[in-house]
Amino acid sequence: MTTMHTAPLDRPTLEGDNYLTHTRGFRSWILTLDHKRIGIMYLISVLTCFLLGGIFALLVRTQLLVPDGLIMDQDQFNQAFTLHGGIMVFLVIIPGIPAALGNFVLPIMLGAKDVAFPRLNLFSYWLWIVGAIFLVVSIFAGLDTGWTFYTPYSIDQNSAMGGVIPAVTGAFLLGFASIFTGMNFIVTIHRLRPDGMTWFRMPLFLWSIYATAVIQVLATPVLGITLALLGIERAFGIGIFNPALGGDPVLFQHFFWFYSHPAVYIMILPAMGIISEVIAVHSHRHIFGYSFIAWSSIAIAIFSFLVWGHHMFTSGQSPLMNVVFSFITFSVAIPSAVKVFNWLATMYKGAISWNTTMLYGMGFIFLFLIGGLTGLYLGTLATDIFLHDTYFVVAHFHYTMMGSALIGFICGMHHWWPKMTGKMFNETAGRIGFVLFFVGYNLTFFTQFMLGSHGMPRRYATYPADAGWQTYHVISTIGSYLMAISFFVMAAYFLASCFGGRRAAANPWGGRSLEWQCSSPPPFDNFSEQPAVGDCYDFSVLRWDEATRGYVWREDVPHPGHGEEEAHV
Amino acid sequence: MSMLGMLATTKLGEATSGGGFWMPESASTVAPEVDGVFYFINNINYFFFALCVVILVWFAIRYHSKPSEHVTFTSDAPTHNTPLELTWTAIPLLLVGVIFWLGMDGFLELNESPEDSYEVQVTAQKWSWTFQHPEYGVTEAGELTVPLGRPVRLIMTSSDVLHSLFVPAFRVKNDVVPGRYTSLWFEATIPGQYRLYCTEYCGKDHSKMLAVVNVLPEDEFQTRLGQLAREYEDISDQELPEYAMVRLYNRCASCHTLDGKSATGPSFKGLWDRTKSGSTVFTDGSSLKDHMGPGGEFEVPENYLRDSILNPQHYLVQNYPGSMPTFKGQLKERQIDAMILMLKNLDRLTDEQGNPLENPDLSGADVSTGAQQ
Repeated sequence: MTTMHTAPLDRPTLEGDNYLTHTRGFRSWILTLDHKRIGIMYLISVLTCFLLGGIFALLVRTQLLVPDGLIMDQDQFNQAFTLHGGIMVFLVIIPGIPAALGNFVLPIMLGAKDVAFPRLNLFSYWLWIVGAIFLVVSIFAGLDTGWTFYTPYSIDQNSAMGGVIPAVTGAFLLGFASIFTGMNFIVTIHRLRPDGMTWFRMPLFLWSIYATAVIQVLATPVLGITLALLGIERAFGIGIFNPALGGDPVLFQHFFWFYSHPAVYIMILPAMGIISEVIAVHSHRHIFGYSFIAWSSIAIAIFSFLVWGHHMFTSGQSPLMNVVFSFITFSVAIPSAVKVFNWLATMYKGAISWNTTMLYGMGFIFLFLIGGLTGLYLGTLATDIFLHDTYFVVAHFHYTMMGSALIGFICGMHHWWPKMTGKMFNETAGRIGFVLFFVGYNLTFFTQFMLGSHGMPRRYATYPADAGWQTYHVISTIGSYLMAISFFVMAAYFLASCFGGRRAAANPWGGRSLEWQCSSPPPFDNFSEQPAVGDCYDFSVLRWDEATRGYVWREDVPHPGHGEEEAHV
Repeated sequence: MSMLGMLATTKLGEATSGGGFWMPESASTVAPEVDGVFYFINNINYFFFALCVVILVWFAIRYHSKPSEHVTFTSDAPTHNTPLELTWTAIPLLLVGVIFWLGMDGFLELNESPEDSYEVQVTAQKWSWTFQHPEYGVTEAGELTVPLGRPVRLIMTSSDVLHSLFVPAFRVKNDVVPGRYTSLWFEATIPGQYRLYCTEYCGKDHSKMLAVVNVLPEDEFQTRLGQLAREYEDISDQELPEYAMVRLYNRCASCHTLDGKSATGPSFKGLWDRTKSGSTVFTDGSSLKDHMGPGGEFEVPENYLRDSILNPQHYLVQNYPGSMPTFKGQLKERQIDAMILMLKNLDRLTDEQGNPLENPDLSGADVSTGAQQ
């Protein structure tokens, strides 16, 4: 390996000069080209949308407390679940990790000053904001198609309440924001890796972001075209999806899931990347099976394009297609299983911190196990026919999309919070929040498996009183309230840390990837000189320093760049 | 009344009781196989879930340490182990292979209906189910009567948007698509009533698009279908309003209330008075009065009701969406008469709150329909 300049781990920075304080004023934020500020703006936007989507979720749960519906009429309920789904998918989970955390962390992990195209990055953000506004505006137009916009309901002027055109315009723009961000990340990873960081020395988070970006760039255009066709169909009635005009409503499902199935990996892959970082760093132990984890991300990205038909087992597509799609679907299970085993093996003989971040990391493994294993019933044809479009599916995808993807995001927020803000959050509050969340989460969604396997269909505003479902609904709703409380606790300790939190050391957790080598928060230009790269999972070179309450380089170990780090690999 | 008594829609009893912790009651030939696959996956999942969680918790406790203990931390644990990793790639691969095979096998059985199946034509529309028995010339709504122990094949289509027919007790489901036919089959094994749901989101009253599958032993099935086939002929004019209330109103109920509350469509309560007086206002601003009377489009008010059933998009009542499907071809002439008579005599058929009366007093009921004048 070529040698590098030595970068001291705790490089002192000018007191008070960091990316947050480097320039001041509103304009310095909204027109910033700094990837860190853009990441923070995404973070704030995404969390605002999460609050909005969460309110709709609570409305939906409250409605279902009683069989006849507690608070809404049918139309209001249909709008509430549509907005819940649309906001959570398009505005929270898809952009959550790549756009918010990825933007902040990716260039620093590469030791770069910014992404490859900073202006494009800012443009993506504002495009995203415009798209988000369009999507949220559809609330007032009464959008009630579900986030899936299935035809012919969505193109029938007499059916859907309206708001379809603003909503698909919004999703179209959000898609382009996603494509631009993906392109930016691909180029950044290809071109801006520092000397010494070969592909298989990249932190696993970068592998997962890379795989995600490839999916974003390849799959999202299909969604854009599909939604454009849908908008044209609805506005002009040209007969693509409308059977009354010779179109095919099932064609829309093929187009839609050709994007939206890969999209679930756009959601989960970055979360898996975060968990790979978190489990290794907080176990203070070299990641186990690096190359298997890296390759499994690539495998998931490839397989994700070949399984969309499993959303359509009951749609009337040919039995042969069902069999083929079922077969390929099972192939996705393997790389996911491999990752879980590798994470568990990483904890073996580690030195595991039970801090909030690690609790969310271990919580992720627990919830992802349930989400992944319950996918087996749905990939299996005989059982999927029964479970399709019931609450079993709702529970399954919440375990993967919320329990896994969103929890990965939250886990990453905890992991990089000291880096982003320069402040430590209150650990005790964090752990209380986690316990509330974990209990609330499982109460909410585990009961929904039982609802589904007992036949409760999705998207029902009311249900028969004698079907025996109410108990499950009541438990589920109580769980959702508990979860809501846990998120308010989280918001409280995060906010409190900004104002009264202890100052964070450069490396409070003991990470070795490059973002832990610049100060917290990072200076405006991240690194004054390109940092040295070693094995980013070899933590034996670090030691805990009680004085700064962070990890520092062991005095008896030479820095990489002196050609010594190979000994630890 | 005896005739009507027999025809009255069967009430769903305890049909949804039974079943286990995971699966509901089962009442079809394919259900045990589907449940078998489910429980097979269940056992694999219990094992792997328990294994992973035990390892997770064990490692978390066994290797727990505080930051201050990491002053000089080194681990001798391996960073990879290729044979081990290949093993835990291969074992799940084999298991999912088996699961796939079982699932495919079960699916092919679900998919291929036996040759001699009893066929029923199903039409889904917002938000009701219509079942036609071509062999008997019978149309049912909201209730599907099928024989016990004989394979039944449903040939389904939708007259508006996507729907999906789902009978949990039979473990069968298939989407119902406009512009094409889809099908599913089942063979019921236990007589009784089972709920049928719409499971593809179809708009406002999606959650009210329910029906009942009534499984009868062969002889009772024959008798019942025979009765249904003759039901128009066997009913006297005097009984027509109640017949419509008992047998036909369930197709209107998801949109038209009896208690005066607005729903997707105008309430039936007071509808006849509004029609007779011509006070109904349409979306184009005209009122029914403008179209009634000699020389008008509707010579008698009954004709407006008839037109609304057969050609619902013709005149749309103000403040309501035009979401009503046509019932042309689905109702016999005598059934349309019955509907009109039901609307004309609604006060005799329901109490103040709009609940249908058990034994309505129809003496002196108005049994003239527009068609008969």
